[in-house]
Amino acid sequence: MADTLPRTRFNPWPATVFTVLCVLAVLFLLPTVGVLLSSIKTTREISMGQLWSAPASLFLGNFTEVLGNPAVHRYFLNTLLVTLPATAVSITLGALAGYVFAKLPFRGSNALFLVIVAGMFFPPQVILVPLFRLFNGLGLIDTLWPVIIVHSALGLPICVLMMRNFFATVPNALREAAIMEGASEWQVLTRVVLPLSLPALAVLATLQFTWIWNDFLWPLIFTQSDTKRTIMIGIVNLKGQYSVAWGVQGALSLVASLPTLLVFLFFQRFFIKGMTMGAVKG
Amino acid sequence: MEQHNRFWRIALLSLPLGVFGLFVIWPLFSSFYYSFTDWNGFDANYSYVGFDNFAKIATDRLFLQAAVNTTIWMIAAIVLPTALGLMLALLLDSRVAGARVFKSIFYLPICLSAVIVGQIWTWIYQPDWGLLNTVITQVTGEKFKYAWLAKPDTALWSVIVAWSWQQTGLSMVIYLAGLTAIPGDLLEVCEIEGASPWQRFRRVVLPLLAPSTVVVVALSVINSLKGFDILYIMTGGGPFNSSDTLAMHMYNESFKKYLMGYGSAISVVLFLIALAIIGLYFRQLRKVDRIYG
Repeated sequence: MADTLPRTRFNPWPATVFTVLCVLAVLFLLPTVGVLLSSIKTTREISMGQLWSAPASLFLGNFTEVLGNPAVHRYFLNTLLVTLPATAVSITLGALAGYVFAKLPFRGSNALFLVIVAGMFFPPQVILVPLFRLFNGLGLIDTLWPVIIVHSALGLPICVLMMRNFFATVPNALREAAIMEGASEWQVLTRVVLPLSLPALAVLATLQFTWIWNDFLWPLIFTQSDTKRTIMIGIVNLKGQYSVAWGVQGALSLVASLPTLLVFLFFQRFFIKGMTMGAVKG
Repeated sequence: MEQHNRFWRIALLSLPLGVFGLFVIWPLFSSFYYSFTDWNGFDANYSYVGFDNFAKIATDRLFLQAAVNTTIWMIAAIVLPTALGLMLALLLDSRVAGARVFKSIFYLPICLSAVIVGQIWTWIYQPDWGLLNTVITQVTGEKFKYAWLAKPDTALWSVIVAWSWQQTGLSMVIYLAGLTAIPGDLLEVCEIEGASPWQRFRRVVLPLLAPSTVVVVALSVINSLKGFDILYIMTGGGPFNSSDTLAMHMYNESFKKYLMGYGSAISVVLFLIALAIIGLYFRQLRKVDRIYG
């Protein structure tokens, strides 16, 4: 098909394009490569200005240091305890609301939908102080609860958007037929529509997991003691302990990014789809 | 039937709307309320101070600095990731060998945490062994030891470059989606009619990409307004507040100085700016929809 016919674009020089892209790709990769290199070098090598040269030997001491640090284990556990429930809750709530917006619209439902979706564009600073006061009053500061709750709520705009748009593509006849057979809306949602929506669920799961795992602001505001910190805050905390141990810092960054990097590698397709859908439809 | 529908609407919507209302909408309005108080973050008591906080904004030198820096950041956000993203998308769209690998490389930074990106770039700017100074030293042959992040002249721009590195991938992905929607035949016809590559780009591709451009520019500007984590890691708004933004200033006043009333006033300003941009964005989207349907 289209593959056999060379589509004409406005770049008649494939070799030039390829070269330019290679140069840009190297430039783009450099920062990441720097971290990789630092993680397998000794602090001595790095401070001697050897960070950016090819490694003479593979030094794994930084990784044993990071992986053997009990604080890192704690940070990882906390991050999982926040990320997994918040991802699940935000997607569930998004599916509930998305179903109504797609299949049971009512007067003003489009306006309501827009208000929720607009929520994804506002800087979080706008709701920082009242949320701090609320959770302070509830005695939940320095627990993981406020982080989980706020991420569940702030995930709603993208989840509602994505679920509603996906549900809209499921034929209405399917729902009507199921209702005729005596199914309730709940059964239509869980037995008919949701099983058809696995791609949308996969997109949201990758996006939400990545965003919540990487988040810095909310745990910064809501947690204080080291035992309650998540990994991204933990990296900053450990900077003091490893202040000039650059190699350890590099290994730490790598370990902390590993879950999201793996998600990205395996679910790249979903990730990009979500990014563009969320952006374009917003 | 209508009664049946109403029951299910309420049953399915109450939980999501409750959560969203309680933890997003209500705090938003509370921010307006606290902006008229002098709450310090701890005391149960606070008093109503009218427009004092907003009057303070008008005379706060640091606020002005933060507003200027936020504006610079926004303008840079319109130019850097947008232009770079467009260029990358155009290059990749030409069916070059290994396009998929290139694509992955360019948007890999999106999945990294701003904390990690900040750390990586702090190292690039590191005065003694950072990549940037190493390269400059090698090119010029003289030992170069400029502290990019510690100098008021370069701190803000250094952070903006790092941020653009991450943002470019997103712009590229959106432009690529826009490019695939342009029919290949159309460009073929243009070529047969004798249009030069530049003419094809300027007169056909770029206008057809207008919807993508609206999205890319809007997202970049909105994200620049949200820029906080990377700044916190790289400069913390310093040196001497030279890289402060409104988001950073709001955080500092509220959670460093515990002037939560004043911080709320700043967040109200931030909200209004965001609202204006989002309003503009939605309007442009509709306009583009009308023209290109």
